[in-house]
Amino acid sequence: MPTENQYSLQDLADLADVSPRTIRYYVAQGLLPSPGQVGPGAHYTDGHLARLRLIRRLQREHLPLAEIRTQLSKLDDETIAALVDAEAPAPPDSSALDYVRSVLGGPGVAGRPAIRGESLVPPASRALAMPLAHAQVSRLAEPEPTTTAEASPPYVVGRIELPAEPPPPTSTTPEPAAQRSQWDRIALTSDIELNIRRPLSRQQNKRVERLIAIARELLEEDPS
Amino acid sequence: MTFTARSDRHYIRSIYRSNRFVLAEIDAPPARRERARPPVHLAFVIDRSGSMAGDKIRLAKLAVEESLARLHDDDRFAIVVYDEVIDVVFPSTRATPDARRSALARLGEIDARGSTNLGEGWLRGCEQVALELSAEGVNRTLLLTDGLANVGITDRDELARHAAGLRARGVSTTTFGVGEDFDEVLLQAMADAGGGHFYYIANAAAIRDYVTSEVGETLEIVARGVTLQVTGPDGIEVESLSPYPTQAFGGRTVVTLGDLVAEQRLQVVLRLNFPYGEIGRETGALFSLSDRDDVLDGAPVKLGWEYADDRTNDLQARDRDVDRAVARIFAARARQEAIGRNRSGDYQGAKEALSSVARRIRDYAGRDAQLREIVAELDLESDQMAAPMAELSRKQAFFASANMARMRTYDGKATKGPQTGSR
Repeated sequence: MPTENQYSLQDLADLADVSPRTIRYYVAQGLLPSPGQVGPGAHYTDGHLARLRLIRRLQREHLPLAEIRTQLSKLDDETIAALVDAEAPAPPDSSALDYVRSVLGGPGVAGRPAIRGESLVPPASRALAMPLAHAQVSRLAEPEPTTTAEASPPYVVGRIELPAEPPPPTSTTPEPAAQRSQWDRIALTSDIELNIRRPLSRQQNKRVERLIAIARELLEEDPS
Repeated sequence: MTFTARSDRHYIRSIYRSNRFVLAEIDAPPARRERARPPVHLAFVIDRSGSMAGDKIRLAKLAVEESLARLHDDDRFAIVVYDEVIDVVFPSTRATPDARRSALARLGEIDARGSTNLGEGWLRGCEQVALELSAEGVNRTLLLTDGLANVGITDRDELARHAAGLRARGVSTTTFGVGEDFDEVLLQAMADAGGGHFYYIANAAAIRDYVTSEVGETLEIVARGVTLQVTGPDGIEVESLSPYPTQAFGGRTVVTLGDLVAEQRLQVVLRLNFPYGEIGRETGALFSLSDRDDVLDGAPVKLGWEYADDRTNDLQARDRDVDRAVARIFAARARQEAIGRNRSGDYQGAKEALSSVARRIRDYAGRDAQLREIVAELDLESDQMAAPMAELSRKQAFFASANMARMRTYDGKATKGPQTGSR
């Protein structure tokens, strides 16, 4: 690993998604070690970041601060780092030569199932999930690195074709019937469309514009 | 070396989940002095099935000859040829002048015949490399084929999984597809999973260029096993749009970029999806690089975003360089999809894949000339894709778009910085 990172109070707050005030509070409460120096010159380390994230995670599981403090006091920095964000996978325990030979040996060869079932879960977190059952090391790796056989995910293919002429409005029409109305079809993505019967009031128009902006934001793949 | 990261936009929406894009750019350090480079270990695996007869096999042999001439005495190499039978023509040996001479003499006796056990031929090559891994240098199998795997292991996913398994154990894989009868999806998947490169060689005359250029790249590698790590609050989801394997470990996302050659400029596009947040609150993520031998020394980059109301979001400035990189990636992905649809006879779907991405880019292109050019190209291609295409053109288009997504040159070479191709 490259050299240890150093963070200002604000950086640490951003990266752990807490306010600077919360960090000061945790330090005062003994949940976080003191940065050594006080004031603007204070800097924090990866150890602080890992500890802070673990605290947040345990808090989300509704553990009282006193309990968190007790749990944390039993753990060293390395253990905490392993719990919070395990590093890249540990090197596999078989060599490249063993691997090739077990594959070439074909199905039924003793070595082969071991490779298929092999896990990239770092051993540290496997062991550590036990003493601290609350800390979920979420989204751990797949057993084997997944491959990107095709760069793009398959797009949704099923698509409901709208009738060329949208259905006429049903009976409940608050609008004055005298007005000629017209359906607008707005493509939100290539697969999702919004149908709007116009004209709308100014107020409604504004809301629809917001709706479209929100929908595009929700559905967007490209920047909008 | 330099390492930078920037986002397309600074503000994020407060009550919707915003996507923001990050462009990370790495300029690899210059080459070490030639004598000082660590020894490499290469296996050349060559398809000798019947279809390779004539120019292809002759030129493949020449390519091996020229590649061997670039190795030093401390390097190692092996040569494997395969049809349905695998023949280790020259087992792994130090590249002394004597060894090179006798290897070429034996290679000279090989002619083309039989069918294609691509899987085992490739694995036998990997076995030779695995016999003695170079601790500091590159260990790589170069597979050259013009056909489909039709004997032995033929399943794409299985072969790609083995390529990943071998990469994790230090042996990478590069693939070369010649002509129009091979499976580029397989060869691309093996190279991606295997941490090497895929090259499409339309014309046998270019075999030598591509093989020697790839060998040249392996000799120029200055950083092995490079990963980009993103650390941020738990709610931010990170995804790499550039086609690199990505894994999440708790609050850290690791994107495996592979090896970097001297002065290579690599661009990686990430999509970050943010949770809701109160207006005015700031959030951030840390981007850092690491590599197996700790040779990259770029400082981590911290990017900050701020939750803001919709008006501020709508009016905010955009970083056009990031927009362009994002547009290129989406265009490349759409092309790959369109080619697949064109091949399966879904011409309308192929056209739509391109034109829908063109529409979306047009929405934010504004007056930006480069973005508009990307849109114009997509529109043009969407018409071509709407009709049956020659297999050769499809392969060419697949290769060009795969290279675009990986920020390599149109013919698959590493892009060298600074500023190559981005302005």
